[in-house]
Amino acid sequence: MTRVLAGRGRTSARHRRPRERRPIARSAGTALVVCGLLVTAVGLGGWALVSHGSRGHAASHGTSRDGNGFAAGARGKVGRISGPSKRPRRGSVGRPYWLLIPAIGVSSDVVRLGLTAAGTLQVPPTAAVAGWYTRSPRPGGVGSSIIAGHIDSKLGPGVFYRLSRMRRGEYVYVIRANHTLAVFEVTSVRTYAKSGFPAKTVYGPVPDAELRLITCGGTFDFATGSYLSNVVVYATLIR
Amino acid sequence: MRIKKVVRRCGRLALLLGPASMALGLLAYAAPAASASTGTGWLRLAHLSPNTPPVDVYLYSFHDPNAMIVLDHVAYGTVSGYETVPAGEYTVAMRGAGASPSSPPVISTTINVRAGDAYTVAGMGPANGLQLQILRDRLTTPHGKALVRIIQASLVQHRVTVTAGHKVLVRNLQFAKLTSYVAVRAGTWNVKASGVSEHTSASIDLAAGTIHTIVVLDDPGHLALDDLTDAAGSRVIPAGAPATGLGGTAPRPAPSSLPWLLLAACGLLLCAAGARWVFRPHSALPNRRPPAVT
Repeated sequence: MTRVLAGRGRTSARHRRPRERRPIARSAGTALVVCGLLVTAVGLGGWALVSHGSRGHAASHGTSRDGNGFAAGARGKVGRISGPSKRPRRGSVGRPYWLLIPAIGVSSDVVRLGLTAAGTLQVPPTAAVAGWYTRSPRPGGVGSSIIAGHIDSKLGPGVFYRLSRMRRGEYVYVIRANHTLAVFEVTSVRTYAKSGFPAKTVYGPVPDAELRLITCGGTFDFATGSYLSNVVVYATLIR
Repeated sequence: MRIKKVVRRCGRLALLLGPASMALGLLAYAAPAASASTGTGWLRLAHLSPNTPPVDVYLYSFHDPNAMIVLDHVAYGTVSGYETVPAGEYTVAMRGAGASPSSPPVISTTINVRAGDAYTVAGMGPANGLQLQILRDRLTTPHGKALVRIIQASLVQHRVTVTAGHKVLVRNLQFAKLTSYVAVRAGTWNVKASGVSEHTSASIDLAAGTIHTIVVLDDPGHLALDDLTDAAGSRVIPAGAPATGLGGTAPRPAPSSLPWLLLAACGLLLCAAGARWVFRPHSALPNRRPPAVT
């Protein structure tokens, strides 16, 4: 009797329980699937956003570099030059005092730069002004005159923020302390990795009156707090 | 059949693209070399023949009958500034001052200007033995030094000794000859030229990183020195690259996408677990009590 009862009890339990638990299990399972789908969607969405963002950055870098690296074209001057008066005279060239680059909206004081204790080029004390390296020739004298400026500060754009967008043929004006104006024409714009900065090309001797504008560029390394490249604009005196 | 076609098409495409991409690669490789601040060289012209009357100097690009540059009425002792010219072959011709451009030149020479190099083309020697000499001008200096070379263009003093301070730059340099560049300590030097019967001196600033040519000239009645700056650079070349940016406008680095992908994977795992729960056959349900044994 007990056996029968027990047996019956067991069988009934066996038949009944699935009927009670299956809907719960099913709904729990469904909830899990829904949760899973949601999590997947969030994950994929985040991934899409992140990868799209980085592609956007890459693209913007690409365009900013496009302007760099064209050939210094021949400034073939044709015509009669009357009188051999073209030789730049030393002594008549004053110190640079103001820098104007209409093409990229620069109008800046020119401070004086020396060398740091480590022997590197001093940089202007603020990002708002450009500086002339006092051991380079004066702008308009024979040789390669060096003017450096910041691309940015920690907070925003600096005086040479748009230097990499300069193009060949654009003009750079330097007003000198003796109230004379030197006009330079851009011959090329180059970007160099800091690890391979061509110091001799940039600072070394040249036979005519040239100007080099230097700033940073390329990718910023947040780990070291410095840009990985330099932008150099080469210009030659035309007047 | 279709697969074969596709394979064949891919093959053709590869045949087309292969050389094209190779050419592009080569171009990309060659571009920096061609586009350095070269592509052009420098040329200057000088009249250093004492008894030759003034001349007009013509510079022609090779095979081009139209003069590229004309310097009018260039007298003895005159040196032009450097002209930037595209690399290539040029002809330099001298005609008497005011002579017709179509008249045959008194003297001419050809010069091959190489990209990034500087040259002086000088009319030297006596009038009856005038020569156009092509001088290659140096554009690099030893570290912390100045370079100087002497051109002897005095006909009156046939041999000249030139000193800088106590250093003898050249002894008994003959007329119409020149020295090669000599490295000297940077500074302001008292440069002295002594002929047989005349001498002259000048205080010349030979700064580090500069290259000079000092020309000994006949000034009516006495010797004269002309200091030409062939090239100048920074007196001290700064180490490294200037640090002219602090990153305020730099795009922030993109965050890693790995956590998001892991999250998506977790979601998929959850889905799989849930689906298993839903479709699991009831016999396999957990919490099944073992059969009671009596």
